[in-house]
Amino acid sequence: MSPSAAAVLGLLAMAVVSLGTGMFARRFAHTTSDFMVAARAVPPRVNAAAISGEYLSAASFLGIAGLVMQYGYDVLWYPVGYAAGYLLLLLFIAGPLRRFGAYTIPDFAEGRFDSPRFRRLAVALVLVIGFFYALPQVEAAGLTVQTASGLPYWVGVGVVSLVVVAAVTGGGMRGITLVQSLQFAVKVFAIALPAFLLLIHFGGLGSSFAGSPSGLAQLTKTTSFKVTPGELWQLPTATEIRVNGGATVAWSAGELVRSPGAVTAEVAGSPSPSRTARSGERLLRIVGRRLVPRGTIVWRQGATATLAAGEAAPYGSATPASTDARWMNPFGPLAGGSGHPLLFTYSLIMAILLGTIGLPHILVRFYTNPDARASRRTALLVLVLLGAFYIWPPIYGALGRALDPALYGGNLTDSVVLILPSLLGGWLGQLLLAVVSAGAFAAFTSTLSGLLVSLAGALGHDVYGRWLRPTATPAARRRAFQVAAVMAGAIAGGLGLLVGQFNISVLVGWAFAIAASSFFPLLVLGIWWPRLSTAGAAMGVALGGTLSTLAIVTSMVATIAPPLETFLAQQSSLAVILEQPAIITVPLAFLVMVGISLLGQGPPPGVAAKMVQLHAPELLGLRRDYIPD
Amino acid sequence: MDPPTSGSSGAEPPGSAPSRLLEFEEQTEVGGVYLQALMRRQLRLSLAVAATFIAFLAVQPLISARWPQWASIRFWGIPLPWLVLGLGSYPLLIWLGMVYVRRAEEVDDEFTDLLS
Repeated sequence: MSPSAAAVLGLLAMAVVSLGTGMFARRFAHTTSDFMVAARAVPPRVNAAAISGEYLSAASFLGIAGLVMQYGYDVLWYPVGYAAGYLLLLLFIAGPLRRFGAYTIPDFAEGRFDSPRFRRLAVALVLVIGFFYALPQVEAAGLTVQTASGLPYWVGVGVVSLVVVAAVTGGGMRGITLVQSLQFAVKVFAIALPAFLLLIHFGGLGSSFAGSPSGLAQLTKTTSFKVTPGELWQLPTATEIRVNGGATVAWSAGELVRSPGAVTAEVAGSPSPSRTARSGERLLRIVGRRLVPRGTIVWRQGATATLAAGEAAPYGSATPASTDARWMNPFGPLAGGSGHPLLFTYSLIMAILLGTIGLPHILVRFYTNPDARASRRTALLVLVLLGAFYIWPPIYGALGRALDPALYGGNLTDSVVLILPSLLGGWLGQLLLAVVSAGAFAAFTSTLSGLLVSLAGALGHDVYGRWLRPTATPAARRRAFQVAAVMAGAIAGGLGLLVGQFNISVLVGWAFAIAASSFFPLLVLGIWWPRLSTAGAAMGVALGGTLSTLAIVTSMVATIAPPLETFLAQQSSLAVILEQPAIITVPLAFLVMVGISLLGQGPPPGVAAKMVQLHAPELLGLRRDYIPD
Repeated sequence: MDPPTSGSSGAEPPGSAPSRLLEFEEQTEVGGVYLQALMRRQLRLSLAVAATFIAFLAVQPLISARWPQWASIRFWGIPLPWLVLGLGSYPLLIWLGMVYVRRAEEVDDEFTDLLS
């Protein structure tokens, strides 16, 4: 069996199982409540597995391992922050939010403040965050299918969109809860088993940190790279390259320094290698073997370049070349590349931790619990399940640097999880390749289906059911939910075909920053501070959401606008803040909410009743769901 | 907003409820005081647990900045910062979560006992 056949088998098996479970669960989904909140009857164990299944996206399954391989230690903040977000969710949100008994976060926004206009603002944000989060999932689907099986990009995008739309329109929340809990089990198994076997086979994790004699990532075997015209290589040391037939490269002494997202700056004063006209560059002709000095080369024509085992691995344009020490120690190329490692690290921690609490598609799951006690226990179980998953991806990153540094050259670090298992060779390697492919498929389908429920809920329930047609019958609302799911799926799939190849984890990071600056302060203050006024909450959400979106868009635009890029390279602390805006925008949103509430008209009338609803234990028998069902 | 109806818990407030429960439900000033006390206890508990974990996270970059040599301490060949952050965080998270859930349920139960 060829490698691609095993991968296709794994992907197909997962698609069939997901569809089958979705079809099976369809029989139980009848009412609107089934579709929106699974009739509020999901036991903690199932719900925790479903939430974890939904949360462990492509970014977690593929992206973290790839980023660890690229940047080293600093990336560990991502998995820890992703998991720790649930602790904060458990502490401040899970119980009270469930007691409120709504369907969606816009329901909470309107219900807590008695303001239909606030609902519209919240809906807009749900849509922005949802699509920001959905795009990388779709993109990962295309890329994974492409790398693992060799099928074209659009096949993966198409298949995943179809499977997800079918599952969501068929069974709504009720259906996907079952599918996602199954997908969680697949993911943990698929990430843990190959890592475990790799560790046994290659003698433990410690050897991955032993480093090499030269202090650089050295190729473990003689490797041939197929390069395309315009492709950029950073050579961390003088490297002997062999090209049969010959090829021309443009060499310059500069080193490319890049932190994820936007900031690209050159050290050693050489201009951007992405532009062709450059000073200090020399054309080199490689015919047969040639020792190319340390520096950056741009291939002028396609060729097959062979490097012998023991040569330092070349780095493609997506990854800063780094020594073993820089990779292993804190403040490596990710946090240190910005020039303000502490500021960068704290802002990153803040965005990830607080962003989790503001993600609407995650929050909505806590409404599916029977009561607040079950809701808290669900969040606790999620912590256990996420811990069991998140110890594994960094192990792939570390193993990848030691065992297959050739991935740096082709910018293939994002697929390290998919590539390492085949190093075990033979039928075992093939079997494990099928297993990780199935896991990757489970990762982007389960996250995408959760997002689709959230997006369809916002469109079908909030926009159609509450705003356009408040008098619609339950059956019409259910149909609106299904139509919205098809629409959202089509939009996400369509955009997924268009987007370029952004780093998967970075895109998700932006969704977190927006959520952290808008919904997080709204929920925490809305639940715990009775004096929060409608105007204060609305201004805070609008300002936090807008500023964080603007900051991120600016740093995206900078990657394609050289003047802005140069400016930001000079103002490095500003660049850090634009890339990781949470450290400014979150406190700002809080300040605005508190300030306007204290200065303006007081809290909305009836706030005491809202507080009773949020905080009174169910056993008192006072419970009234916002949407009884 | 939908008209309030009794929730799916099905339990109506008992007719012979003690006056504290009635006051609480009708949000008289006395009831408000009870609710405030409950919220304050829960919030203090949550903040204490959150502060513990945030301190654990926040102190690590500081150590890296002030005392970078800690990266050269190794166990089983793995640098200490990797072990603390990548492995040690999860047991701590789970333990803190367990402590919180137990205490939060106790606070809720004590409050329920007080009122009924």
